[in-house]
Amino acid sequence: MRAPAEQPNLSTAFDAVWRWNAVRGEYEAGEPPPLCGTGEVSAIEAFRGRTMLLFGGTGFVGKVLLALMLDRFPELKRLVIQVRRKGTTSAEQRFYSEVLKSPPLQGIVERLGESEIRRRIEVIEGSLDEPLCGIAPEAIRRLQGTVDLVVNLAGVVDFDPPVTESVETNVYGTQRLVELVQSLGAKLVHVSTCYVAGKRNGRISEDEPIEGYFPERSKRPHETFSVEEELRWYEQFVSETREARGDGARPVRERLREGGMQRAERWGWTNTYTYTKSMGEQVLAATRGLDYAIIRPAIVESSLRFPFPGWNEGFTTSAPLVLMGGEGLKGWPVRKDGPLEIIPVDLVAEGMLIVAAAVLCGKNRRVYHLASADQNPILLPRLVAFLGMNSRYKHKHKKTGSRLANAWKAYVETQVITVESLQARRARIRRGLDVIHAALTLAKTILGEQKVAPYLKSLRDTRRQIRQQEITLDKFLPFMMYNSFVFETRNIREAAGMLTSEDLKRLRWDPESIDWADYWVNIHTKGIEKWIRPMFAARKGA
Amino acid sequence: MNKAAFYDLDGTLLSCNLVTTHAYYARNDRSLLKSAYQFSKVVLSAPVLFVVELYSRSLFNVISFRAYRGMHRDRLIGLADDLFEVTLKPSIYPQAQALIDATRNAGYRNVLVTGTLDFTIRPIALHFGFEEVICNRLEFRNHVATGRVLPPLVAENEKARRIREYAARESIDLDQSCAFSDSSADVPMLTAVGNPVATNPTRRLRRIAMQRNWPILDLREASSFLPPFLRPAKALQ
Repeated sequence: MRAPAEQPNLSTAFDAVWRWNAVRGEYEAGEPPPLCGTGEVSAIEAFRGRTMLLFGGTGFVGKVLLALMLDRFPELKRLVIQVRRKGTTSAEQRFYSEVLKSPPLQGIVERLGESEIRRRIEVIEGSLDEPLCGIAPEAIRRLQGTVDLVVNLAGVVDFDPPVTESVETNVYGTQRLVELVQSLGAKLVHVSTCYVAGKRNGRISEDEPIEGYFPERSKRPHETFSVEEELRWYEQFVSETREARGDGARPVRERLREGGMQRAERWGWTNTYTYTKSMGEQVLAATRGLDYAIIRPAIVESSLRFPFPGWNEGFTTSAPLVLMGGEGLKGWPVRKDGPLEIIPVDLVAEGMLIVAAAVLCGKNRRVYHLASADQNPILLPRLVAFLGMNSRYKHKHKKTGSRLANAWKAYVETQVITVESLQARRARIRRGLDVIHAALTLAKTILGEQKVAPYLKSLRDTRRQIRQQEITLDKFLPFMMYNSFVFETRNIREAAGMLTSEDLKRLRWDPESIDWADYWVNIHTKGIEKWIRPMFAARKGA
Repeated sequence: MNKAAFYDLDGTLLSCNLVTTHAYYARNDRSLLKSAYQFSKVVLSAPVLFVVELYSRSLFNVISFRAYRGMHRDRLIGLADDLFEVTLKPSIYPQAQALIDATRNAGYRNVLVTGTLDFTIRPIALHFGFEEVICNRLEFRNHVATGRVLPPLVAENEKARRIREYAARESIDLDQSCAFSDSSADVPMLTAVGNPVATNPTRRLRRIAMQRNWPILDLREASSFLPPFLRPAKALQ
């Protein structure tokens, strides 16, 4: 008996004649252009017999990268994977029981067999937050001279954590990593983010000098930025904040959070995350004799093809926006002419391997943006329309909840609004809720507490929901409203163009071919509903 | 050699009506006012389409695809799931899924061969579990439909040509394969395979089927018999 197909094949019968050109928005006739590169770099040969040490292989991108390396490059001799110990679970246990059992890796583990995986992978315990990256000295001695390339995906990706958490991993952690890489005699591929550019607009080049960068540099040429200076400020700020514990009413954690955000904003960064990530880059750039490449992905989203379409994990993507859209939010404060710089996670992983091959061959550049808008932008108003159609679909067939609210969410289309009208809307809603609250309080005195209590409770819940929504939306405003970037991707295209045709069968860099409508509606939104919604619901319930 | 089961969609597996599809898109336009305008257009064009269909099937196709002119591709893709739930799912014939499962379990590769458009087909193909789809696609300019279909239009003889092409590429033995359709327009498609089945046939197709001794099947009834070549006794041989 044969199982029904998961995905019907809609295109093979067709592609011989017509291909969708995502950029021009029309079908084109003819054969697809053949895959060919100059062959200056051979990824297959670059990886043959090599050993890589991977930091942060347990994260969203890390798992896909790991799966890709296991699946596509049997030539790699060994993969050493750093895993943090968690409570009483050892790194090794955690890797084999959690990471390898996760959806993106499961299929590959089944195909290759666990013994094969154990032959190719070595798990070591480590953490960027500890001296020597938390790796046992004898393990370091053993790895010395055998590791060719260190790939670092580890980092604190929360936008506004207490500044200590961010700096500890993203700055000091990078310093420790650099020491490790140098003592191993390896090269380094370090993952940062496109958004280290900060609050700027327009095209962002990959060639800007890294050291001493801060977003407002062109506006404030007389000022200089240095990591040492920032770390001095940081140490002082943290010790002052901790000493002043007694007199403040607010918890230390909150003040550390705020301090980081304020410091980031002072230089023109959007948040603590991008500020500390930029400092991490500057640590690399300041190290003499280090052979490195920095990879800056944009907003990393559901996978396009690999390991299967729609794989997604965590809340650091646009998932909160998609979930909010599905819930029926109507007014979206976005730029009419701005793209959302998203990039599928599997393209990021493939891009990383392309860069890794270039680094191993000594033909790399310093900085690689992995983003889509340079070649194939998806403009924000189109995404807002998709969110509206998703809400239409979800609420039209909904059997629970208020019928009026469902009809509103099903038949009223989403709108692109300005920040001013967003504020006005919020104020209107708040006033409305205040009036209801006043009426209910009055009713309580007349009708008694018992009759009114459930209404008051649902009012409180509504308020909490709205506040939550506002906070989430505000977090994304820098990417949708205040700033509009296009990250240039010349370097990754050049690196992909240097590969051999044999490599290009295994690795592709082709954001220009993403059919955004199909991707957003059939891959991304469904992936989020499948993989993120249950987690989100569980977190909300907790 | 592989074998495949080729299915027509409209009238065979479900009674999807082009007018209801267009009415759906009209009802779900971006604002209520636009919806009302579009909907009235559909209502006015319905009798014209009815007359045209009597006269010529291909002219009917041309006119009905013109209704998509000016629509943004994002909307057509974004509303496809809802269109399926609202207009297509309720019109699936009771025995359709059972027949598709039967051919799959008998080792046939299920292929949908239809003149319907790709974005409409997607949820249907997923619902039934089709492995491959041969269908029409609209022409777009800068993401907006022009109202024309990309040539060659999948209908009548083109269906048979595409089936032969597909069989040659996927090394499928057409003599071992079967095809299901309801309409006499699909006679080329039915004659392309070894086991044609007239499914819910129109009067003309029923006559042709009787002449050529093709099995006749009705999926609209609550229970139906499988055609002889699909019956378990034969499958065991």
